[in-house]
Amino acid sequence: MKRNTQTLPISIDAQQLVVTLNNKKILNNLSFQVSSGEVYALLGGNGAGKSTALKTLLGFHKPVSGQAVIEGLAVSTSLSAIRKKIAYLPENASLYPHLNAFENIEYFLSLAAVHKTHAEIKISLQQVNLQQDAWQKPLSKFSKGMRQKTAIALALLRDSPILLLDEPTSGLDPVAIDEFNQLVMSLAKQGAAILMVTHDVYGACQVAQRIGLLRDGALVGEFVADGGHQIDTEQVHKAFTAGVID
Amino acid sequence: MKQNLQSIQPVIMWKIARDEWRYWFRSKLAVVALLIGLTCTMSTVVVSVGDAFELEHQRGHAQQQSEQTFVNQPDRHPHRMVHYGHYVFKTPPPLGMVDPGVDSHTGNTIFLEGHRQNSATFADQKQSSGTTILGALTPAFVLQVLAPLLLVIMGYGVVSRERETQTLSILAAQGLGYGNLILGKISALLLVAMLMLLPLAISGIVVLSQGESLLTLSLFLVGYLLYLSIWILIIVSISLWAKSNSVSFSTLAFTWLVLCILMPRVATTVAGVMVPAAGKLEKDFAVAAELRQLGDGHNAKDKAFVQLEAELLKKHKVNRVEDLPLNFRGFVALKSEAEITSILNRYAEDRMHEELRQSFFARQFGWLSPQVALRTLSMLTAGTGLETHHRFLRETENLRFNFVQRLNQAHTNKLNYIDDMNRNKSEAAGQIARISAKNWNVIEGFKFRSSPSKERALQAMTPLAQLLLWFGMFGLFLRNLQRHYS
Repeated sequence: MKRNTQTLPISIDAQQLVVTLNNKKILNNLSFQVSSGEVYALLGGNGAGKSTALKTLLGFHKPVSGQAVIEGLAVSTSLSAIRKKIAYLPENASLYPHLNAFENIEYFLSLAAVHKTHAEIKISLQQVNLQQDAWQKPLSKFSKGMRQKTAIALALLRDSPILLLDEPTSGLDPVAIDEFNQLVMSLAKQGAAILMVTHDVYGACQVAQRIGLLRDGALVGEFVADGGHQIDTEQVHKAFTAGVID
Repeated sequence: MKQNLQSIQPVIMWKIARDEWRYWFRSKLAVVALLIGLTCTMSTVVVSVGDAFELEHQRGHAQQQSEQTFVNQPDRHPHRMVHYGHYVFKTPPPLGMVDPGVDSHTGNTIFLEGHRQNSATFADQKQSSGTTILGALTPAFVLQVLAPLLLVIMGYGVVSRERETQTLSILAAQGLGYGNLILGKISALLLVAMLMLLPLAISGIVVLSQGESLLTLSLFLVGYLLYLSIWILIIVSISLWAKSNSVSFSTLAFTWLVLCILMPRVATTVAGVMVPAAGKLEKDFAVAAELRQLGDGHNAKDKAFVQLEAELLKKHKVNRVEDLPLNFRGFVALKSEAEITSILNRYAEDRMHEELRQSFFARQFGWLSPQVALRTLSMLTAGTGLETHHRFLRETENLRFNFVQRLNQAHTNKLNYIDDMNRNKSEAAGQIARISAKNWNVIEGFKFRSSPSKERALQAMTPLAQLLLWFGMFGLFLRNLQRHYS
């Protein structure tokens, strides 16, 4: 296994995070860093602590020890400022079912004090490939994939330097997954720091420059893309299923 | 989601409130609930205002007619006029059109006659069809009982819905704090409450034109606004605490049932237990027994008046009642009426005292239910509470006593004793035993007026304090909950 040596500025810095929920240790001394322009995938099975790691970075969970630092600001002390820098895509992309895609995006952006024109929202919806005839329909009539695409469009429109993506391709069809991965890579090229948590080994290998393997709340190893090549899927898959990284 | 007061943003709150309204408009249930609420308040206010004008006109007219009929009676024996009697009517106070209070149970008309204190009659609840005995649909009932239920239907999911659909995390990720979220939801519900209160506020113009003071009207409206605000705080607190929509709704429905339906009944029952009062029949028997000991005021020869006769003969230095410079029968009626009234008043005051003590205990339940607190405040400021009804009873009793005694005075001084004693011997004798109709001008014009506004405002201070305590308590509870979830 190759270890990454970082040269770009660090956007996300998880420092020995310990998080306990309902008297159960979910994160156990979890440490990792994500630089700007980098896609980092936290890979792990169910209950490994992936979503908890994201929610801790967002300040939804308070660590018992350790700290999360975003662009040099500690989450525990500068939450409001940090949330302005982060676009978050939750696992179950839940937007308002009574609003249509446009209204949802406009409403949530307005809460974040981000102002976008209709044209910009249209471009974003086109970018995520949401059918145009669905734009004015309420989300209650959307499929899971369509809701996911709307949430992705919202996350993109935040123009945030940091993206936290929780199982972002869940519910998307293969074509849409491919398009989404392209989008993520292009955002990283534009300088965004992207942390995605997933159990999709192939998807992670396709987009991430580094993959952290999470088990029982602790990072048990990292895979780093070598030069312009993708991380070897088979090697990651083997380690993921075996649970051991040598 | 940490947030302090400095970070409260009115624009964000407005956006959240506006979106909640958008949700309600697109959700049929909420729109139906809102329409029912508005229709109920609007229609009851319109109907009640119309009824109040009609009632005031009818009762004013009836009062005038009753006085005129009494005065227009021909020459008669004065004691026949004592029993001819006279009706008095309670004209509703201006705010009575919104909250008829105890008037709908106690009655609004009293027949005044000699030797008796009749109860008020023609209570709306007694003369209406059977179902209205459960509570007529007045604006006060709609706002005190139905409006909180409609707010529950509209608001139970304001926060629990966000939690259930997991939009809370998206909202938080946009940098939105719980404080702004909760204040936004409160604003949305407050707008609903104000819409429900709008017909009441509009009726305030009519109320003011009817002579109600601005102070009382303001206190009345503030009380209702405070009450609905308390419900909003309860709704948002429970919606914030509940893990799901179903838990939120069932908890709020139970809370409404306890606070608006059960507690007022419990209050009345407990008051009845704390201050046991004898039934009407029991009291009537006790009064009758005591009155029997006084003797029959119609019969001057009754042995109860032997001493009175002796004293009077001695005072006027004569040997026979026929030689007295006054009509002994009239004098007996005068004295008898005073004694009877003294006993009747004692019993009436005891009964009113009992009622007030019961009412005192019932009103303490305002510390346990905001509905009880508002009901008390509403009745007291409207001038339709028990105290006002008691004042009506005292004023009418005063009127009764005065006119009966004036007639007895005329009987004593203007009708010859011998003519009086011979009145039943022949028709001609009966004609002689009469006095001029000019003597019937003994009725004072009666118009029942509300208590001064300051007095009513002072009476309403305790229920107002109860409402403020509820408001403060749930305000703090919600603030702590918000901090807990932040």
